[in-house]
Amino acid sequence: MWEKILAYIPELKVFMQGFIVFFIPYIIFKLFNGIVSKQEMNDDDMVKIKGQTKPNDELEDQTEESSQESFDYYTGNYNLDVGLVKKEIGHNWDVHFREFHIGNTDIRAAIIFLDGLSDKELIDKHILTSLMGDFSQKDELESLYEKGVFLQSFIKNEVLSVSDITEEYDVKQSIGKILAGTTALIIDGMPNVLMLGIAKGKSRNIEEPVSEALVRGPRLGFTEMLSDNTALLRQHGENSDLSIINFQVGKCTKKELVIAYVKEIADPNLVEEVKKRIETINIDDVAESGYVEQLIEDNYLSPFTQVQNTERPDRVFAALMEGRVAILLDGTPFALIVPVTFSMLLQSPEDYYERWLPSTLIRLLRYLAAAITLFAPSIYISFVSFHQGLIPTKLALSMMGTREGVPFPAIIEALIMEVAIEILREAGLRLPKPIGPTMGIVGGLVIGEAAVQAGIVSPIMVIVVAITAISSFAIPQYNAGISLRMLRFVAMFFAALFGLYGVILFFLLLCSHLVKLKSFGIPFVSPTVPYRASDWKDFMVRMPLMMMKRRPKMLHTKDSSRQD
Amino acid sequence: MMINSQDKITASQAVVVLANYILATGILTLPRTSVEKVKSPDVWISVFLGGIIAIIAAVIIVKLSQKYPDKTFYQYSQDIVGKWTGWFLSLLIIVYFFTISAFEVRIMAEVTSLFLLESTPTWAIILPFMWIGLYLISSGINSIARLFEIIFPITFVIFLLVAFMSLGIFEIDNLRPVLGLGVMPVLKGVKTATLAFLGPEIMLLLVALMKQSEKTKAVKVVLVGLTIPLFFYVITVVMVIGALSIDGVVTRTWPTLELMRSFEIPGLIFERFESFLLVIWIMQIFATFTITYFAAALGLAQLFKKNIQPFIFGLLPIIYIISMTPKNINDLFKFGDMIGNAALFLFGVFPVLLLFISRLKGGKT
Repeated sequence: MWEKILAYIPELKVFMQGFIVFFIPYIIFKLFNGIVSKQEMNDDDMVKIKGQTKPNDELEDQTEESSQESFDYYTGNYNLDVGLVKKEIGHNWDVHFREFHIGNTDIRAAIIFLDGLSDKELIDKHILTSLMGDFSQKDELESLYEKGVFLQSFIKNEVLSVSDITEEYDVKQSIGKILAGTTALIIDGMPNVLMLGIAKGKSRNIEEPVSEALVRGPRLGFTEMLSDNTALLRQHGENSDLSIINFQVGKCTKKELVIAYVKEIADPNLVEEVKKRIETINIDDVAESGYVEQLIEDNYLSPFTQVQNTERPDRVFAALMEGRVAILLDGTPFALIVPVTFSMLLQSPEDYYERWLPSTLIRLLRYLAAAITLFAPSIYISFVSFHQGLIPTKLALSMMGTREGVPFPAIIEALIMEVAIEILREAGLRLPKPIGPTMGIVGGLVIGEAAVQAGIVSPIMVIVVAITAISSFAIPQYNAGISLRMLRFVAMFFAALFGLYGVILFFLLLCSHLVKLKSFGIPFVSPTVPYRASDWKDFMVRMPLMMMKRRPKMLHTKDSSRQD
Repeated sequence: MMINSQDKITASQAVVVLANYILATGILTLPRTSVEKVKSPDVWISVFLGGIIAIIAAVIIVKLSQKYPDKTFYQYSQDIVGKWTGWFLSLLIIVYFFTISAFEVRIMAEVTSLFLLESTPTWAIILPFMWIGLYLISSGINSIARLFEIIFPITFVIFLLVAFMSLGIFEIDNLRPVLGLGVMPVLKGVKTATLAFLGPEIMLLLVALMKQSEKTKAVKVVLVGLTIPLFFYVITVVMVIGALSIDGVVTRTWPTLELMRSFEIPGLIFERFESFLLVIWIMQIFATFTITYFAAALGLAQLFKKNIQPFIFGLLPIIYIISMTPKNINDLFKFGDMIGNAALFLFGVFPVLLLFISRLKGGKT
């Protein structure tokens, strides 16, 4: 019996392989953990430093506890105050000081404003006019002069015909605001400085975004001014529950960031999570909403985007109605929507504006296009290199005939064509308008034809690559398209190594990654899983509007019914 | 992580996990193994009976697990029969689980190298498969259940498609006469058929991993979760025997795949349908492999009261070495039979005993 057992013990080679099976993932795991924990250590330090900043509620008291060294505060003394400001920013060419007396008294006052950004109309028609009126009758004014605070409240409450007024006592803060376009008013005897009005910068017209043009739908797009964007959201319709909460992000250059959600619909936990993550943003300048996206997403190592971005207000508003939260940043027309699920990346607002039958079919077509984008080259490679027997006979004969003179194995051929297409695509983005599309067509046709003639690639390869490229344009979201394009190459490598089995492994690997991914607590693969029939009404098909009475369950909304 | 207390699955996810676990090698080998025993076309009756026996055993297991709703078998076995016996019993079950993992991996490698990748060495086929399983398991039962929910509809659709396409060469006469040789042969086949339904033992753990509100539905979970494979198996057996006849079936190692190869639909661009079936079959084997791997790793983690991560890594070489042990396919099938017998004993006999003992001890703990 012993011999029998001994005969079954595998040879040393197997034990070596067993060791490798264990070793390689272990090393990868340790490396990965090392990177992630180092990252977390840095984050912890950052959060400790940031500890004090709190979110602001409404656009009123911006008395942020400064983590900067507090400079000087305004005294009531006119000369001192103006001197302080002049010292800081007086050297700038575009900062102007306008000194005057409050009408018919001897009280000196000055306004400080920035050329180009400040609201000249406000200054000329409202500030200067109201202050230079006749105050000599009010003898309280002279007595008020002594009691600075009363002077301030008098001016603020009874004199200035300006809608936006804030009080500022910190010199550095007020200077920041002056440089952002607000007008500062210093009056002799007033302990604080009054910040009047808001910046009136230049902005462009509201036009349909180029990257997300639709056939049917409102031709509106966000602009770079935050106030325009929030106005567009409010303009969508009267909604007393739409809440717009602001934050300030960026250490050196402070920008306004706003989150929007519908109070009665969005899950409060989600809103809290969004707020928490925005507060951890610690970077000197948040240039674009892409920075915010990358700093608040769950898993930065994943190829999939976990935050959706869009330029269209109707998309944002539809998302808000589903219980999602939108993030808008000053200076960029791209708004962010969280949380995002896989199905959202393949949806377009047009699906909802057209009737359900064509929309359903088009949506199914998009899913097919996504599958083709991901798998077509790899399936071609696996069939040609490994499983020639699985191709139908007639097709196999014609394919092999055309591949006669091709010197490369299928994977190299595929890689050459795919890389060429990617370069063409990238180049096409930067070509000036007149020659852009022509270049694309010419490039595609000519290069494809020439390559086939030269015998470098086979015609079937060109067809496969062309279909793949076109399918990737059918995906409505640009960043989803990028993810799938990247993954296509990984699929090709798997197919080159293991054929059809490799494609299956790749699919399993991709699904394993997708099921782990969460976007703000919602699994990324919702609504596929868990099985909820009500969420499926909007997943691969689009059921008639009459049937879509509930908001998606996956978002745990407060108010689940769309009707009364 | 230990069982993360928030990492629970719903009842419908449990159904899918169970169904995916059971559907494994049986689809390919059941027609042959059962016809070898029964020698008559009444195998589908054996399959039915086998399914019913499996359902009964599953309900017993669920009742046992429901007595200790928050503990997995590894934890409550020690409550019932004492620390050391319970420990030993759990260890047996863990060994069973990772042996099944190894068996599944090896079968998959055999079929793949036979039909898809002729010259690839076995280790190259097994290694990436195991690594992807590792990647999936390290994020807990919820991710595993979600993956199963993704592959389940794909399996369902493609299987039905392929099965009904074979209606073209289906001859009902191959299934007749019904009960021509009497009832005895049918009963002989029941044991083999029951082995194809190996899977309800996962309920020993799954009840503990279900969400609180869903634990009472565990019996329904088992019923639905076993009916689905029953349905699949009956269709498979009927179709295979109907098309190939019993003589044809016993001479082929993988009758179902041969069935797929033997018909063609003129005009369709796709000719070889067995690749479809292989695709879903490999995904099903992956499912079985991951869930048993997870069960074994979880068991070890709970027995030794540590985090699950080191055990996941540690089991990798063990599973690999066991899977490479059988030298050829006959050895592999003998190995499979051995496991099957052990399973019948472990999961047919022990749960009944344990249920009895726990009833004696009285009430819910």
